[in-house]
Amino acid sequence: MSKQPTRANGASTKRLAEDGGASTLSKTLHSLSLQQGPRARSLADPSSDICPVCKSSRYLNPNMKFRVNPECYHKMCESCVDRIFSHGPAPCPIAGCARTLRRNKFREQTFEDLKIEREVDIRKRVMSAMTKQEADFETLRDYNDYLEQVEEITWNLILKVDVELTESRLRRWEEHQKAELNLAPSRREPESLPTDHPTLKKGVVQRKAPSASSGSMLDTSANKDDKDTGFTFRGLKKRVAPPKEAPFDPFDGWEITPQYFVQQDDYEVDWYQTFKKDPAHLVAMWDVRDYASRTLREAFGGFGIFIEDEINARAIPSMNAGIGTEQAAVAAVMDVNMEDVF
Amino acid sequence: MKLTEDDLYRNSTQFRNWSFTSQQLAAQRLTTNIQATERVKANVARQRAHRAQHVESDSISSGVENGSGANTPNAVASDREVDCLTVDEELKIVDDFCERAIKLGEHCRFPFEVTATCIQYLRRFYLYNSPMTYHVHNISRTVMFLATKVEVHNLKVDEFAAFFTSASVTTESILAPEYMVMQGLRYNLDVRHPFRGLAGGRMEMLECAGGRYEGPGSGDDIQAQMLQLPKKKNGPAANWTVENMENRINNASFFASKTLKEAALLTDAYFLYTPSHIWLAAHLLADEPLTLFYIGLKIPTSSPIYDKLLSTIHSCAKLISSHRLYINATLPKEEKTAREANHQAEIKRLIGKLKMCRDPDKIDLVKLNQAQKRDAMQGDGGLEQGKAKRRKLERESYEKEADAFWGPELPKNG
Repeated sequence: MSKQPTRANGASTKRLAEDGGASTLSKTLHSLSLQQGPRARSLADPSSDICPVCKSSRYLNPNMKFRVNPECYHKMCESCVDRIFSHGPAPCPIAGCARTLRRNKFREQTFEDLKIEREVDIRKRVMSAMTKQEADFETLRDYNDYLEQVEEITWNLILKVDVELTESRLRRWEEHQKAELNLAPSRREPESLPTDHPTLKKGVVQRKAPSASSGSMLDTSANKDDKDTGFTFRGLKKRVAPPKEAPFDPFDGWEITPQYFVQQDDYEVDWYQTFKKDPAHLVAMWDVRDYASRTLREAFGGFGIFIEDEINARAIPSMNAGIGTEQAAVAAVMDVNMEDVF
Repeated sequence: MKLTEDDLYRNSTQFRNWSFTSQQLAAQRLTTNIQATERVKANVARQRAHRAQHVESDSISSGVENGSGANTPNAVASDREVDCLTVDEELKIVDDFCERAIKLGEHCRFPFEVTATCIQYLRRFYLYNSPMTYHVHNISRTVMFLATKVEVHNLKVDEFAAFFTSASVTTESILAPEYMVMQGLRYNLDVRHPFRGLAGGRMEMLECAGGRYEGPGSGDDIQAQMLQLPKKKNGPAANWTVENMENRINNASFFASKTLKEAALLTDAYFLYTPSHIWLAAHLLADEPLTLFYIGLKIPTSSPIYDKLLSTIHSCAKLISSHRLYINATLPKEEKTAREANHQAEIKRLIGKLKMCRDPDKIDLVKLNQAQKRDAMQGDGGLEQGKAKRRKLERESYEKEADAFWGPELPKNG
């Protein structure tokens, strides 16, 4: 790791923090692009090709790959990772760093500069917690204040200012958000957990932790209301749960309500009783009440319709519709003259 | 949002496209008749001119020409002025073929709905088409076959054709006009019959008689009122036992269903009234006090539409009872046979007249149908065979090439 770009980066980040952090990443990248010289030198620097743990160099082993762990961002070669961490978590082998690392967290770095790598990771983490949008705020001013606050949190984490406090507040905020999102399912959890008990051993332990924490979080949020949410933002609207989706109605709200008859549950006429007992009808999931409703609907379908009146009514006022006489006449002419297949 | 029975019926094609006032119906029939007459006259004149030319060019070989034109008399062969059918005559012919459709249905042992639907299709079709253009004889078979499909009494064309002894009835002749018939029906295949409604009414009336009616009003009161219904219209109140009343109801609906299956089907009732009115009218003809009592249960006499409803049902009943078959049933036997003979003689005359005024372009429907298709009949079968063979070879070679890696060659244009 070369020192030159690091210092330059630190300077740029400080300057950006003073700016208020508007579009920091782009500025950071921009400042990087200005430092072509030192970066080129750092590429040529042979120390970047030597594993700081086992001191083997890429010159001897061209297939060597470097890995980093987002815990401390110390770089080491793949074989070192395999060697040290294959038996479970172990402390970082770099002198002065005693963090416990796990093998599965190691990954290839995306950016050459590990500072950038770390910043991007932190931004990802903060963004995943801070998901409010402009619509969630009362005024644009509030939204901008919120954005600034988010940027402050980000830079606190990046510059390692009040990390502990900020982290715990972030976590509380995340939990608060989660609780707000699914209040209903979290209430159901205690019931479903005991049933899991006898079958799952490890799973239960693992699952119990978040549920317990969420339960306690629920309590705190219920008791202190909005006191313990980690952060408070001015002008943030209270989240309104989206309206519950109505069950699907294939008839689109329409229903058949008979006007002239009341359908009875049973009719004692002989053929109705035969239908009820006929196995041929029973097998096909056929409901004899459908027969009753259909016959009665047909018996009174058009009971109150007077064709002459309705046709005269639809012919006179609305010339636009063209139903009835007009259409029939036009269709008739067309039919005889044109629409003839033969 | 609520839908009543009336709204449901208003949405049916029968109400939207096939319900008319009596004036509209008459006007439509007149229009159809005028158009068909003009067309027949024009076509006959054209064919005569063509024929005259043809005869001049080779006057010697005048044996068989114009297909069936040589033996049977037709409009083109005779020299007289074409005497076209009038509206009434057309209607009589259609009515007669509707009656024949009942016989055909009985002959084929179809369920009654098939025949009923077939008859309504015929009436609808001949509202916009004239028997002079398409002979009812041909169309009625097609329509009957169509009705079997619509009423889910499925059978194959071959099986249906086997019902006819005449050699001229082939599967082609049954199927040929099918598409045209569908167009003529505007693809509205739903016919709302009054039969099921009658069964529903009978069911409710029997419930009333048993004191189990759950509609508005108490069941016992309604039963008590019903058991005192007079025997005849305006008669004195009578005392009925429940059993006798049930018999009366059953008899009435039996009679009504007979009316519905004959007279009502053969009139214009389906065009002019709703199925509900039709079955009530038939029931009214069977048993007036009972029907009025039942209607009173459904609509209070104080209702504004009550009088109108009654007058509609009465006029529908009048229309149904004015049909020849309905009147015949009430007549003594001698008069009935005499009238029937008269009627048959007239029908025979009309059919003879129809022969002389048919549209010469539309006589051979099978040939016309084939001309529409890709494999238009070329006269003799040999050419047809060669064509089919060539097509088959082409298809096979195409399929073989299609298996090749780069697929078949693109067809050459030109």
